[in-house]
Amino acid sequence: MSAPRILVVEDDVSLRLTLVANLELEGLEVVEACDAEEALLRLEDVRVDLVLTDIRMPGMDGVELFRHVKRTRPGLPVVLMSAFVGERVDDALAEGAFTVLPKPYDVNHLLETVLRAVRSPEVLVVDDVEASADSTVNALRAVGLRARAVYDGEAALASARTGAFDVCVLDLLLSGISGPEVVQRLRASRLPVAVIAVSAYASQELMRRAAAHGAVSCMHKPMELRELVQSIARVRGQPRLTR
Amino acid sequence: MARAARLFEQRLEDLRRRVDGRFAWLLAGQWLAALLVAGAFSARDMGAVLSGAALGLGPMVLAWRWPGAPLTRHVLAAAQLLGSALFLHLTEGRVEAHCHLFVSLVLIAFYRDWRVLLTGSAVGLLGVLTATQPDAWNLLRETLWVALLDAVLLVACRDVLAELREAAGHRAEAELAREREHSHTVALDAALRELHVLQEQHVRVEKLAAVGQLAACVGHELRNPLAAVRNAHTYVSKRLARGPEALQDARVPQFLGIMERELNVCARIISDLLDYARERAPSLQPCPLRPLVDEALAVVPAREGVRLHNEVPEALPVPWLDKEQFRPVLINLVQNAMEAMSERGGEVAVRAEPGEDGRLLLRVVDDGPGIPSDVLPRIFEPLFTTKTRGTGLGLAIVAGNVRRHGGSISVRSEPGRGSEFLIQLPSSATRRSA
Repeated sequence: MSAPRILVVEDDVSLRLTLVANLELEGLEVVEACDAEEALLRLEDVRVDLVLTDIRMPGMDGVELFRHVKRTRPGLPVVLMSAFVGERVDDALAEGAFTVLPKPYDVNHLLETVLRAVRSPEVLVVDDVEASADSTVNALRAVGLRARAVYDGEAALASARTGAFDVCVLDLLLSGISGPEVVQRLRASRLPVAVIAVSAYASQELMRRAAAHGAVSCMHKPMELRELVQSIARVRGQPRLTR
Repeated sequence: MARAARLFEQRLEDLRRRVDGRFAWLLAGQWLAALLVAGAFSARDMGAVLSGAALGLGPMVLAWRWPGAPLTRHVLAAAQLLGSALFLHLTEGRVEAHCHLFVSLVLIAFYRDWRVLLTGSAVGLLGVLTATQPDAWNLLRETLWVALLDAVLLVACRDVLAELREAAGHRAEAELAREREHSHTVALDAALRELHVLQEQHVRVEKLAAVGQLAACVGHELRNPLAAVRNAHTYVSKRLARGPEALQDARVPQFLGIMERELNVCARIISDLLDYARERAPSLQPCPLRPLVDEALAVVPAREGVRLHNEVPEALPVPWLDKEQFRPVLINLVQNAMEAMSERGGEVAVRAEPGEDGRLLLRVVDDGPGIPSDVLPRIFEPLFTTKTRGTGLGLAIVAGNVRRHGGSISVRSEPGRGSEFLIQLPSSATRRSA
């Protein structure tokens, strides 16, 4: 398999130069663009596996570029780099950008994230109410994320071991192996899967038990799709605790 | 009204104490006068006069020890009337002694107390009876006279008391009004204090918000150069870790240069922030403007196609400036003008001329694309920027420094024709006796 090819879009010359050098040092192929317009031209010419773009740039900004890419090359992962936090970043995350890395990022973390994004990992949705799990998966797919549903804890652990997933959206109220136990076993096996634990407000205790087993993001039912997609993107940008 | 009653009682008691004191002196004075008269004219009455001393002594002690007490004034009144009776007795009913008796009655009326008046009258009549021949006609005549006088005095007493009472009422009302006014004033003061505190709080909160905004902005602005430094550092570290051939990699020295440059950018952002935050009063010194402009133009990074002109006349009066604060003003304005130029380049000129009243006018003029009219009013606001990289502090620092020099800064711009920043320095900056 040939080296992944990354399109780096960054208007700050020093930043672009040093970033590109680091990516190349790790054996990645890099295509450079100094703004969004140039990036779109490059995308016409060459096939790339991932777009790594700054957000604030003169002319078209990174969020617009992401939207453009999503329209013209659905499935091509886009990782944003941001010096600022704001509405526009949240919008991009809710619309399916892979993640956002705040500057100044750790270069190794950036490399890990980029390599993971290139593999286009899936989101594992675990819920013993099948209809609920399926509807979540369909909603995520509609936004452009890859997702698959399983309906019990055993299946969840088996799927996680395949390495095809980097995020697990886990309903804690499971029959069979309990939600907190799934978290515990995921953590014990040191699988690099981020967990978003979902529970109703009524089951705060479950949430506490799940959180006690290691880093999880918590969400309460009923959850907005927008928030779920944002959460998935954000945990994808966090350093993996297990490698 | 309780307050009016209290005031009335107080006034009355004061008045009676005073009368007590005066009666004491009066008794002493009468006795001395009697002593002198007796010594001069009739030595045989000396015994009676001396016994008068005993009569005066007790009441005087009472007036001294318990002034204002009811007993005191009754006793004093009785003593005064007994004195009159004694006088009547000694003069065997002379008309002057009768007059003395009536005057005594009038005097005790000063107590404004009808009981005292009655006590006095009774004692007086008793004295008259014992001092003169006790025939019925005489008794009737004296009683009538005393009763008549008492009636008049009683009416007078009542009137005076009524007046006193009325005055006390007025005074009580006045006091109440004053107290009400005072409590209003106190409430108003408290409200004003509270308002002041709230205003200060508001200012503090606004300041904090501004500081927070500033910190956020500067923090964000630092992220890009820091990210570049981090990238370069990671690359160089990894290359060095892989072996000595790293020294042949042209990127290593290049990246060290980038690290240096980006760290300088960080340092500049931080010092901008400090310049803005630090409100140092300028330390003014005579500072020829033309060489200062030369210095500033030399610092500004050159740009192709843009020509800089120092048109400050040599003969310009030497202004008093804080060099360290004024140089950034010039650098900032010139650099802004240069960066605003379009690709085809242009001209930036610094001009100066003496203005009215010894003022100094300094202009930074460019023939660039001009400033959009929606940007113009906000141009000196801190954190306002139109650049993708920039803290928005530059012109705010410029304006702050000019203001601290006692000057003012304004801007004119015509889209397509260029912009002109005008700094007016006050005469104190030009004509200052050393």
